[in-house]
Amino acid sequence: MLRKELRWVGKAALLFVIAVILQSLILSRVSILGVTADLFLILTVVVGLGRGSLEGAVFGFLAGLVHDTIYFQILGVHSLIFVLVGYFVGMFVTRFGTVNLWAIFVLAGVSSFAAQLVFGVVQFAMGPRAAFFAMVGTQMIPEAVFDALIAIPIYALLVRVRILTAPGPEKVQAGAGAE
Amino acid sequence: MPRNKVAWRRLIFVVLIIASLALLTVSVRQADSGPVHAIQQAGVSMLSPLQTWGARAAKPFQDGYTWIRTLWSAHKQAEDLAAQLQQLQGEAVKLREEAEENARLKGLLDFQEKGTFPEGTQFKVARVIAKSPTRWESWIEIDKGSADGIREDQAVVGATPNATDSLSGKGLVGKTVSVTAHSAKVQLITDVGSSVAAKIQGYRTEGIVEGSVSGQLTMNYVDRDVRVDPKLIVVTSGYGGVYPPSIPIGIVSNVGEEDVSAYKEVEVQGFVDFRVLEEVMVLIVPTTATIPSMSTTTTTPGLNTVTSGGNGVTTLPGLGLTSTTSTTSTTLSPTGR
Repeated sequence: MLRKELRWVGKAALLFVIAVILQSLILSRVSILGVTADLFLILTVVVGLGRGSLEGAVFGFLAGLVHDTIYFQILGVHSLIFVLVGYFVGMFVTRFGTVNLWAIFVLAGVSSFAAQLVFGVVQFAMGPRAAFFAMVGTQMIPEAVFDALIAIPIYALLVRVRILTAPGPEKVQAGAGAE
Repeated sequence: MPRNKVAWRRLIFVVLIIASLALLTVSVRQADSGPVHAIQQAGVSMLSPLQTWGARAAKPFQDGYTWIRTLWSAHKQAEDLAAQLQQLQGEAVKLREEAEENARLKGLLDFQEKGTFPEGTQFKVARVIAKSPTRWESWIEIDKGSADGIREDQAVVGATPNATDSLSGKGLVGKTVSVTAHSAKVQLITDVGSSVAAKIQGYRTEGIVEGSVSGQLTMNYVDRDVRVDPKLIVVTSGYGGVYPPSIPIGIVSNVGEEDVSAYKEVEVQGFVDFRVLEEVMVLIVPTTATIPSMSTTTTTPGLNTVTSGGNGVTTLPGLGLTSTTSTTSTTLSPTGR
Protein backbone atom coordinates (compact mmCIF):
# COMPACT_ATOMS: atom_id res chain seq x y z
CA MET A 1 0.00 0.00 0.00
CA LEU A 2 2.77 2.39 0.99
CA ARG A 3 4.74 1.39 -2.07
CA LYS A 4 1.77 2.16 -4.21
CA GLU A 5 1.43 5.56 -2.58
CA LEU A 6 5.10 6.28 -3.05
CA ARG A 7 4.83 5.36 -6.70
CA TRP A 8 1.98 7.83 -7.04
CA VAL A 9 4.05 10.54 -5.33
CA GLY A 10 6.82 9.88 -7.82
CA LYS A 11 4.38 10.14 -10.69
CA ALA A 12 2.99 13.35 -9.26
CA ALA A 13 6.50 14.81 -8.99
CA LEU A 14 7.13 13.84 -12.59
CA LEU A 15 3.86 15.49 -13.55
CA PHE A 16 5.07 18.68 -11.85
CA VAL A 17 8.28 18.78 -13.80
CA ILE A 18 6.48 18.09 -17.03
CA ALA A 19 3.88 20.72 -16.17
CA VAL A 20 6.53 23.36 -15.47
CA ILE A 21 8.33 22.56 -18.71
CA LEU A 22 5.21 22.47 -20.84
CA GLN A 23 3.74 25.57 -19.26
CA SER A 24 6.98 27.52 -19.68
CA LEU A 25 7.86 26.26 -23.12
CA ILE A 26 4.65 25.75 -24.97
CA LEU A 27 1.43 26.78 -23.32
CA SER A 28 2.54 30.22 -22.16
CA ARG A 29 3.54 30.96 -25.76
CA VAL A 30 0.44 29.68 -27.47
CA SER A 31 -2.33 32.19 -27.17
CA ILE A 32 -5.75 31.74 -28.67
CA LEU A 33 -8.12 34.69 -28.56
CA GLY A 34 -5.51 36.42 -26.43
CA VAL A 35 -5.51 33.84 -23.63
CA THR A 36 -3.18 31.01 -22.70
CA ALA A 37 -4.06 27.74 -21.03
CA ASP A 38 -3.21 27.15 -17.36
CA LEU A 39 -1.68 23.69 -17.20
CA PHE A 40 -1.37 23.72 -13.39
CA LEU A 41 -5.10 24.21 -13.04
CA ILE A 42 -5.83 21.59 -15.69
CA LEU A 43 -3.59 19.06 -13.94
CA THR A 44 -5.23 19.83 -10.62
CA VAL A 45 -8.61 19.13 -12.21
CA VAL A 46 -7.52 15.88 -13.84
CA VAL A 47 -5.78 14.69 -10.68
CA GLY A 48 -8.95 15.43 -8.74
CA LEU A 49 -10.88 13.51 -11.38
CA GLY A 50 -8.56 10.54 -11.41
CA ARG A 51 -7.41 10.33 -7.82
CA GLY A 52 -10.08 11.92 -5.67
CA SER A 53 -10.44 14.95 -3.42
CA LEU A 54 -7.46 14.40 -1.07
CA GLU A 55 -4.90 13.94 -3.82
CA GLY A 56 -6.57 16.72 -5.81
CA ALA A 57 -6.28 19.16 -2.91
CA VAL A 58 -2.65 18.29 -2.16
CA PHE A 59 -1.68 18.43 -5.81
CA GLY A 60 -3.56 21.72 -6.14
CA PHE A 61 -1.73 23.22 -3.17
CA LEU A 62 1.67 22.38 -4.60
CA ALA A 63 0.66 23.33 -8.13
CA GLY A 64 -0.56 26.67 -6.80
CA LEU A 65 2.74 27.26 -5.04
CA VAL A 66 4.69 26.58 -8.22
CA HIS A 67 2.28 28.73 -10.22
CA ASP A 68 2.69 31.68 -7.86
CA THR A 69 6.43 31.23 -7.85
CA ILE A 70 6.84 31.05 -11.61
CA TYR A 71 4.54 33.97 -12.30
CA PHE A 72 5.71 36.20 -9.43
CA GLN A 73 2.32 36.33 -7.83
CA ILE A 74 1.35 36.67 -4.19
CA LEU A 75 2.36 33.36 -2.69
CA GLY A 76 -0.64 31.43 -1.49
CA VAL A 77 -3.32 32.84 -3.80
CA HIS A 78 -3.26 30.03 -6.31
CA SER A 79 -2.53 27.48 -3.62
CA LEU A 80 -5.81 28.40 -1.96
CA ILE A 81 -7.71 28.42 -5.24
CA PHE A 82 -6.26 25.15 -6.52
CA VAL A 83 -6.80 23.39 -3.18
CA LEU A 84 -10.49 24.25 -3.45
CA VAL A 85 -10.58 23.19 -7.11
CA GLY A 86 -8.84 19.86 -6.53
CA TYR A 87 -10.92 19.04 -3.50
CA PHE A 88 -14.31 19.85 -4.99
CA VAL A 89 -13.59 18.18 -8.33
CA GLY A 90 -12.58 15.01 -6.48
CA MET A 91 -15.68 15.25 -4.33
CA PHE A 92 -17.87 15.67 -7.40
CA VAL A 93 -16.47 12.56 -9.07
CA THR A 94 -16.84 10.54 -5.90
CA ARG A 95 -20.47 11.53 -5.61
CA PHE A 96 -21.60 11.41 -9.24
CA GLY A 97 -19.77 8.44 -10.67
CA THR A 98 -17.95 7.71 -13.90
CA VAL A 99 -16.36 10.46 -15.86
CA ASN A 100 -17.13 11.08 -19.51
CA LEU A 101 -15.77 13.66 -21.92
CA TRP A 102 -18.56 16.13 -21.26
CA ALA A 103 -18.04 15.90 -17.50
CA ILE A 104 -14.32 16.61 -17.95
CA PHE A 105 -15.10 19.52 -20.24
CA VAL A 106 -17.68 21.01 -17.90
CA LEU A 107 -15.68 20.43 -14.71
CA ALA A 108 -12.50 21.86 -16.19
CA GLY A 109 -14.36 24.83 -17.65
CA VAL A 110 -16.27 25.61 -14.48
CA SER A 111 -13.15 25.13 -12.35
CA SER A 112 -11.13 27.43 -14.58
CA PHE A 113 -13.82 30.07 -14.55
CA ALA A 114 -14.27 29.83 -10.77
CA ALA A 115 -10.51 29.95 -10.20
CA GLN A 116 -10.18 33.05 -12.37
CA LEU A 117 -13.18 34.63 -10.71
CA VAL A 118 -11.67 34.17 -7.25
CA PHE A 119 -8.30 35.38 -8.49
CA GLY A 120 -10.04 38.36 -10.12
CA VAL A 121 -11.76 39.22 -6.85
CA VAL A 122 -8.43 39.03 -5.01
CA GLN A 123 -6.80 41.18 -7.66
CA PHE A 124 -9.67 43.62 -7.53
CA ALA A 125 -9.41 43.83 -3.75
CA MET A 126 -5.64 44.11 -3.60
CA GLY A 127 -4.32 45.41 -6.86
CA PRO A 128 -5.20 48.00 -9.41
CA ARG A 129 -8.95 48.01 -9.99
CA ALA A 130 -9.09 46.93 -13.56
CA ALA A 131 -12.36 46.64 -15.42
CA PHE A 132 -13.54 43.48 -13.71
CA PHE A 133 -16.57 42.79 -15.86
CA ALA A 134 -14.64 43.45 -19.05
CA MET A 135 -12.21 40.75 -17.92
CA VAL A 136 -15.06 38.26 -17.68
CA GLY A 137 -15.66 38.50 -21.42
CA THR A 138 -12.11 38.98 -22.63
CA GLN A 139 -10.19 36.73 -20.26
CA MET A 140 -12.24 34.48 -18.00
CA ILE A 141 -14.67 32.87 -20.41
CA PRO A 142 -12.19 32.34 -23.29
CA GLU A 143 -9.60 30.85 -20.92
CA ALA A 144 -12.22 28.62 -19.28
CA VAL A 145 -13.16 27.23 -22.70
CA PHE A 146 -9.51 26.86 -23.68
CA ASP A 147 -8.67 25.04 -20.43
CA ALA A 148 -11.72 22.80 -20.79
CA LEU A 149 -10.71 21.81 -24.31
CA ILE A 150 -7.14 21.02 -23.30
CA ALA A 151 -8.19 19.10 -20.19
CA ILE A 152 -9.82 16.33 -22.26
CA PRO A 153 -6.71 15.12 -24.16
CA ILE A 154 -4.51 15.56 -21.09
CA TYR A 155 -6.84 13.44 -18.98
CA ALA A 156 -7.04 10.80 -21.72
CA LEU A 157 -3.24 10.78 -22.04
CA LEU A 158 -2.63 10.45 -18.31
CA VAL A 159 -5.13 7.62 -18.03
CA ARG A 160 -3.54 5.89 -21.00
CA VAL A 161 -0.02 6.09 -19.54
CA ARG A 162 -1.51 4.87 -16.22
CA ILE A 163 -0.56 7.90 -14.19
CA LEU A 164 -4.26 8.25 -13.46
CA THR A 165 -7.06 5.72 -13.33
CA ALA A 166 -10.50 6.43 -14.69
CA PRO A 167 -13.09 6.20 -11.92
CA GLY A 168 -15.53 3.33 -12.48
CA PRO A 169 -18.95 2.52 -11.02
CA GLU A 170 -17.46 0.24 -8.39
CA LYS A 171 -15.30 3.03 -7.06
CA VAL A 172 -18.28 5.33 -6.93
CA GLN A 173 -20.27 2.80 -4.97
CA ALA A 174 -17.35 2.28 -2.62
CA GLY A 175 -16.91 5.97 -2.13
CA ALA A 176 -20.60 6.84 -1.94
CA GLY A 177 -21.31 8.87 1.13
CA ALA A 178 -17.64 9.18 1.88
CA GLU A 179 -17.27 12.47 -0.09
CA MET B 1 -5.03 11.10 14.50
CA PRO B 2 -8.46 10.83 12.87
CA ARG B 3 -9.96 7.40 12.88
CA ASN B 4 -11.54 7.22 9.46
CA LYS B 5 -10.50 8.20 5.98
CA VAL B 6 -13.12 10.91 5.55
CA ALA B 7 -12.04 12.75 8.65
CA TRP B 8 -8.42 12.42 7.52
CA ARG B 9 -9.27 13.97 4.19
CA ARG B 10 -11.15 16.79 5.81
CA LEU B 11 -8.28 17.47 8.17
CA ILE B 12 -5.75 17.67 5.35
CA PHE B 13 -8.08 19.87 3.34
CA VAL B 14 -8.46 22.26 6.27
CA VAL B 15 -4.73 22.24 6.90
CA LEU B 16 -4.04 23.06 3.26
CA ILE B 17 -6.56 25.90 3.33
CA ILE B 18 -5.01 27.29 6.49
CA ALA B 19 -1.53 26.93 5.02
CA SER B 20 -2.60 28.74 1.89
CA LEU B 21 -4.21 31.56 3.84
CA ALA B 22 -1.17 31.81 6.09
CA LEU B 23 1.11 31.98 3.08
CA LEU B 24 -1.11 34.55 1.50
CA THR B 25 -1.22 36.67 4.63
CA VAL B 26 2.50 36.49 5.23
CA SER B 27 3.21 37.16 1.59
CA VAL B 28 1.02 40.24 1.54
CA ARG B 29 2.14 41.63 4.88
CA GLN B 30 5.79 40.91 4.57
CA ALA B 31 8.23 43.33 3.01
CA ASP B 32 9.90 42.37 -0.26
CA SER B 33 13.04 41.36 1.62
CA GLY B 34 11.18 38.94 3.92
CA PRO B 35 11.80 35.18 4.06
CA VAL B 36 8.70 34.20 2.05
CA HIS B 37 9.73 36.45 -0.81
CA ALA B 38 13.26 35.16 -0.51
CA ILE B 39 11.96 31.60 -0.91
CA GLN B 40 9.87 32.68 -3.86
CA GLN B 41 12.87 34.36 -5.46
CA ALA B 42 14.95 31.27 -4.84
CA GLY B 43 12.28 29.20 -6.55
CA VAL B 44 12.28 31.56 -9.49
CA SER B 45 16.06 31.39 -9.65
CA MET B 46 15.86 27.62 -9.75
CA LEU B 47 13.29 27.60 -12.48
CA SER B 48 14.65 30.46 -14.57
CA PRO B 49 17.48 28.43 -16.20
CA LEU B 50 14.88 25.91 -17.22
CA GLN B 51 12.73 28.67 -18.64
CA THR B 52 15.72 30.26 -20.39
CA TRP B 53 16.70 26.96 -21.92
CA GLY B 54 13.13 26.30 -22.88
CA ALA B 55 12.78 29.70 -24.49
CA ARG B 56 15.97 29.12 -26.48
CA ALA B 57 14.84 25.69 -27.61
CA ALA B 58 11.41 26.94 -28.47
CA LYS B 59 12.64 29.97 -30.41
CA PRO B 60 13.07 28.28 -33.83
CA PHE B 61 9.60 26.77 -33.53
CA GLN B 62 8.24 30.05 -32.32
CA ASP B 63 9.90 31.88 -35.20
CA GLY B 64 8.48 29.33 -37.62
CA TYR B 65 5.05 29.75 -36.15
CA THR B 66 5.37 33.54 -36.26
CA TRP B 67 6.59 33.31 -39.86
CA ILE B 68 3.64 31.17 -40.88
CA ARG B 69 1.24 33.39 -39.00
CA THR B 70 2.78 36.51 -40.55
CA LEU B 71 2.68 34.88 -43.96
CA TRP B 72 -0.96 34.05 -43.49
CA SER B 73 -1.80 37.50 -42.20
CA ALA B 74 0.26 39.07 -45.02
CA HIS B 75 -1.62 36.98 -47.54
CA LYS B 76 -4.92 38.01 -45.99
CA GLN B 77 -3.76 41.62 -45.80
CA ALA B 78 -2.79 41.52 -49.47
CA GLU B 79 -6.24 40.21 -50.33
CA ASP B 80 -7.87 42.90 -48.22
CA LEU B 81 -5.69 45.58 -49.78
CA ALA B 82 -6.45 44.32 -53.27
CA ALA B 83 -10.16 44.50 -52.53
CA GLN B 84 -9.70 47.92 -50.98
CA LEU B 85 -7.67 49.08 -53.98
CA GLN B 86 -10.37 47.89 -56.35
CA GLN B 87 -13.00 49.72 -54.36
CA LEU B 88 -10.89 52.87 -54.19
CA GLN B 89 -10.18 52.71 -57.91
CA GLY B 90 -13.91 52.53 -58.52
CA GLU B 91 -14.43 55.47 -56.22
CA ALA B 92 -11.60 57.38 -57.90
CA VAL B 93 -13.19 56.84 -61.32
CA LYS B 94 -16.53 57.94 -59.92
CA LEU B 95 -14.97 61.01 -58.32
CA ARG B 96 -13.11 61.86 -61.52
CA GLU B 97 -16.36 61.57 -63.46
CA GLU B 98 -18.09 63.76 -60.92
CA ALA B 99 -15.26 66.28 -61.03
CA GLU B 100 -15.48 66.41 -64.80
CA GLU B 101 -19.24 66.77 -64.62
CA ASN B 102 -18.80 69.55 -62.09
CA ALA B 103 -16.33 71.30 -64.38
CA ARG B 104 -18.74 71.01 -67.28
CA LEU B 105 -21.65 72.29 -65.24
CA LYS B 106 -19.48 75.06 -63.83
CA GLY B 107 -18.65 76.02 -67.41
CA LEU B 108 -22.33 76.15 -68.23
CA LEU B 109 -23.10 78.14 -65.10
CA ASP B 110 -20.27 80.51 -65.91
CA PHE B 111 -21.64 80.90 -69.40
CA GLN B 112 -25.10 81.56 -67.97
CA GLU B 113 -23.70 84.25 -65.69
CA LYS B 114 -21.32 85.93 -68.12
CA GLY B 115 -23.17 85.46 -71.37
CA THR B 116 -25.62 88.00 -72.74
CA PHE B 117 -29.08 86.54 -72.86
CA PRO B 118 -32.50 88.16 -73.12
CA GLU B 119 -34.02 89.20 -69.84
CA GLY B 120 -36.12 86.53 -68.22
CA THR B 121 -34.41 83.68 -70.06
CA GLN B 122 -34.63 80.38 -68.25
CA PHE B 123 -31.83 77.88 -68.54
CA LYS B 124 -32.60 74.20 -68.58
CA VAL B 125 -29.53 72.02 -68.17
CA ALA B 126 -29.85 68.74 -70.03
CA ARG B 127 -27.63 65.72 -70.43
CA VAL B 128 -26.69 64.53 -73.90
CA ILE B 129 -28.04 61.00 -74.23
CA ALA B 130 -27.42 60.30 -77.90
CA LYS B 131 -25.57 61.67 -80.89
CA SER B 132 -26.12 61.39 -84.60
CA PRO B 133 -24.55 58.21 -85.85
CA THR B 134 -23.43 59.58 -89.24
CA ARG B 135 -21.85 62.75 -90.47
CA TRP B 136 -24.74 63.32 -92.85
CA GLU B 137 -26.56 64.78 -89.95
CA SER B 138 -25.33 66.54 -86.85
CA TRP B 139 -27.67 66.33 -83.93
CA ILE B 140 -27.76 65.32 -80.32
CA GLU B 141 -30.53 64.01 -78.17
CA ILE B 142 -31.00 65.45 -74.71
CA ASP B 143 -32.80 64.08 -71.66
CA LYS B 144 -35.20 66.96 -71.22
CA GLY B 145 -38.46 67.30 -73.09
CA SER B 146 -41.81 68.99 -73.11
CA ALA B 147 -42.41 67.92 -69.52
CA ASP B 148 -39.49 70.16 -68.59
CA GLY B 149 -40.74 73.12 -70.58
CA ILE B 150 -38.72 72.41 -73.71
CA ARG B 151 -40.36 73.33 -77.02
CA GLU B 152 -39.24 73.23 -80.62
CA ASP B 153 -36.99 75.97 -81.93
CA GLN B 154 -35.34 76.83 -78.68
CA ALA B 155 -31.69 77.76 -78.73
CA VAL B 156 -29.24 75.41 -77.08
CA VAL B 157 -25.85 76.48 -75.75
CA GLY B 158 -23.01 74.49 -74.29
CA ALA B 159 -19.53 74.58 -72.87
CA THR B 160 -16.54 72.51 -73.78
CA PRO B 161 -15.50 70.42 -70.72
CA ASN B 162 -12.14 72.14 -70.31
CA ALA B 163 -13.48 75.63 -70.89
CA THR B 164 -11.77 78.29 -68.82
CA ASP B 165 -13.43 81.04 -66.82
CA SER B 166 -13.52 83.24 -69.91
CA LEU B 167 -16.19 82.79 -72.51
CA SER B 168 -13.94 80.83 -74.83
CA GLY B 169 -15.12 77.25 -75.17
CA LYS B 170 -18.68 78.31 -74.50
CA GLY B 171 -21.14 79.07 -77.21
CA LEU B 172 -24.03 78.18 -79.40
CA VAL B 173 -24.76 74.50 -79.93
CA GLY B 174 -27.93 74.49 -81.98
CA LYS B 175 -31.69 74.46 -81.60
CA THR B 176 -34.35 71.97 -80.61
CA VAL B 177 -36.07 70.49 -83.65
CA SER B 178 -38.30 67.82 -82.20
CA VAL B 179 -39.50 67.30 -78.68
CA THR B 180 -41.03 64.40 -76.83
CA ALA B 181 -42.17 64.39 -73.21
CA HIS B 182 -38.78 63.54 -71.77
CA SER B 183 -36.29 64.05 -74.57
CA ALA B 184 -35.57 66.42 -77.39
CA LYS B 185 -33.53 66.36 -80.55
CA VAL B 186 -31.14 69.26 -81.02
CA GLN B 187 -29.91 70.17 -84.47
CA LEU B 188 -26.30 71.28 -84.14
CA ILE B 189 -25.11 74.39 -85.93
CA THR B 190 -22.66 72.17 -87.79
CA ASP B 191 -25.54 70.29 -89.40
CA VAL B 192 -25.70 70.73 -93.13
CA GLY B 193 -29.25 72.07 -92.82
CA SER B 194 -28.49 74.60 -90.09
CA SER B 195 -28.51 78.35 -90.72
CA VAL B 196 -27.86 80.90 -88.01
CA ALA B 197 -28.17 84.63 -88.52
CA ALA B 198 -24.86 85.97 -87.26
CA LYS B 199 -22.67 89.02 -87.13
CA ILE B 200 -19.00 89.70 -86.65
CA GLN B 201 -18.33 91.62 -83.48
CA GLY B 202 -16.81 95.04 -83.93
CA TYR B 203 -17.48 95.31 -87.62
CA ARG B 204 -21.23 94.67 -87.25
CA THR B 205 -21.00 92.71 -90.47
CA GLU B 206 -23.83 90.26 -90.77
CA GLY B 207 -24.29 86.98 -92.52
CA ILE B 208 -25.53 83.44 -92.16
CA VAL B 209 -23.47 80.77 -90.44
CA GLU B 210 -24.11 77.41 -92.08
CA GLY B 211 -22.98 73.92 -91.25
CA SER B 212 -21.54 71.33 -93.57
CA VAL B 213 -21.03 67.60 -93.85
CA SER B 214 -17.42 68.04 -92.79
CA GLY B 215 -18.53 69.80 -89.60
CA GLN B 216 -16.94 73.06 -90.74
CA LEU B 217 -18.88 76.28 -90.10
CA THR B 218 -19.04 78.85 -92.84
CA MET B 219 -20.39 82.35 -92.62
CA ASN B 220 -21.97 83.20 -95.96
CA TYR B 221 -23.52 86.31 -97.42
CA VAL B 222 -20.82 88.61 -96.08
CA ASP B 223 -20.33 91.54 -98.41
CA ARG B 224 -16.98 91.29 -100.16
CA ASP B 225 -16.43 95.01 -99.70
CA VAL B 226 -16.41 94.68 -95.97
CA ARG B 227 -13.09 94.03 -94.29
CA VAL B 228 -13.02 90.84 -92.22
CA ASP B 229 -9.94 89.84 -90.26
CA PRO B 230 -9.20 86.43 -88.79
CA LYS B 231 -9.74 85.90 -85.07
CA LEU B 232 -12.76 88.15 -84.92
CA ILE B 233 -15.63 86.81 -82.90
CA VAL B 234 -18.83 85.71 -84.55
CA VAL B 235 -22.02 85.94 -82.53
CA THR B 236 -25.69 85.46 -83.24
CA SER B 237 -27.40 88.54 -84.59
CA GLY B 238 -30.77 87.72 -83.10
CA TYR B 239 -32.64 87.70 -86.37
CA GLY B 240 -34.88 84.78 -87.03
CA GLY B 241 -36.60 84.38 -83.70
CA VAL B 242 -34.84 81.23 -82.66
CA TYR B 243 -31.43 82.36 -81.48
CA PRO B 244 -31.24 85.31 -79.11
CA PRO B 245 -28.60 87.89 -80.07
CA SER B 246 -24.98 88.01 -78.92
CA ILE B 247 -24.51 84.30 -78.25
CA PRO B 248 -20.93 83.45 -79.22
CA ILE B 249 -20.62 81.06 -82.13
CA GLY B 250 -16.91 81.02 -82.88
CA ILE B 251 -14.00 82.97 -84.30
CA VAL B 252 -13.10 83.76 -87.86
CA SER B 253 -10.43 81.28 -88.88
CA ASN B 254 -10.08 82.03 -92.58
CA VAL B 255 -11.47 84.53 -95.09
CA GLY B 256 -11.81 83.64 -98.73
CA GLU B 257 -13.26 85.40 -101.70
CA GLU B 258 -13.78 84.53 -105.33
CA ASP B 259 -13.83 86.94 -108.22
CA VAL B 260 -17.15 85.71 -109.46
CA SER B 261 -18.89 85.88 -106.11
CA ALA B 262 -20.39 88.96 -104.55
CA TYR B 263 -19.74 87.63 -101.06
CA LYS B 264 -16.82 86.66 -98.94
CA GLU B 265 -16.64 83.13 -97.64
CA VAL B 266 -15.72 83.29 -93.98
CA GLU B 267 -14.68 80.11 -92.24
CA VAL B 268 -15.65 80.03 -88.59
CA GLN B 269 -14.05 77.91 -85.92
CA GLY B 270 -16.82 77.05 -83.42
CA PHE B 271 -16.24 77.78 -79.76
CA VAL B 272 -17.82 74.55 -78.69
CA ASP B 273 -16.21 71.21 -79.37
CA PHE B 274 -19.25 69.27 -80.47
CA ARG B 275 -17.49 65.90 -80.19
CA VAL B 276 -17.21 66.05 -76.41
CA LEU B 277 -20.48 67.62 -75.43
CA GLU B 278 -22.09 65.93 -72.44
CA GLU B 279 -24.29 68.63 -70.95
CA VAL B 280 -26.00 71.53 -72.65
CA MET B 281 -28.37 74.32 -71.67
CA VAL B 282 -31.64 74.98 -73.43
CA LEU B 283 -32.59 78.64 -73.42
CA ILE B 284 -36.25 79.14 -72.67
CA VAL B 285 -36.77 82.71 -73.79
CA PRO B 286 -40.01 84.40 -72.79
CA THR B 287 -42.42 84.85 -75.66
CA THR B 288 -42.00 88.62 -75.49
CA ALA B 289 -38.35 89.24 -74.93
CA THR B 290 -36.74 92.62 -74.74
CA ILE B 291 -33.72 92.69 -76.97
CA PRO B 292 -31.93 95.98 -76.64
CA SER B 293 -30.12 97.72 -79.47
CA MET B 294 -31.91 95.73 -82.10
CA SER B 295 -32.09 97.54 -85.39
CA THR B 296 -34.93 96.96 -87.81
CA THR B 297 -32.89 98.02 -90.76
CA THR B 298 -30.21 95.73 -91.98
CA THR B 299 -27.46 96.50 -94.41
CA THR B 300 -26.58 92.93 -95.19
CA PRO B 301 -26.41 92.63 -98.94
CA GLY B 302 -28.34 89.73 -100.28
CA LEU B 303 -30.69 89.72 -97.33
CA ASN B 304 -33.39 91.90 -98.78
CA THR B 305 -34.98 94.02 -96.17
CA VAL B 306 -38.64 94.55 -96.61
CA THR B 307 -40.52 96.85 -94.36
CA SER B 308 -44.20 96.65 -94.92
CA GLY B 309 -46.27 99.72 -94.35
CA GLY B 310 -44.28 101.02 -91.42
CA ASN B 311 -45.53 98.35 -89.08
CA GLY B 312 -42.00 97.43 -88.18
CA VAL B 313 -41.95 93.97 -89.71
CA THR B 314 -38.59 92.98 -91.19
CA THR B 315 -38.41 89.95 -93.41
CA LEU B 316 -35.27 88.20 -94.52
CA PRO B 317 -36.25 86.47 -97.73
CA GLY B 318 -34.67 83.17 -98.40
CA LEU B 319 -34.28 82.57 -94.71
CA GLY B 320 -37.93 82.75 -93.81
CA LEU B 321 -37.20 84.96 -90.83
CA THR B 322 -39.46 87.71 -89.68
CA SER B 323 -38.57 90.35 -87.14
CA THR B 324 -41.36 92.48 -85.70
CA THR B 325 -40.36 95.62 -83.84
CA SER B 326 -42.13 98.17 -81.74
CA THR B 327 -40.81 101.32 -80.15
CA THR B 328 -39.56 99.63 -77.04
CA SER B 329 -39.13 95.98 -77.81
CA THR B 330 -38.67 93.50 -80.56
CA THR B 331 -40.60 90.26 -80.78
CA LEU B 332 -39.05 87.48 -82.77
CA SER B 333 -41.08 84.75 -84.35
CA PRO B 334 -40.14 82.06 -86.83
CA THR B 335 -41.87 82.10 -90.16
CA GLY B 336 -41.05 78.74 -91.48
CA ARG B 337 -37.60 77.74 -90.42
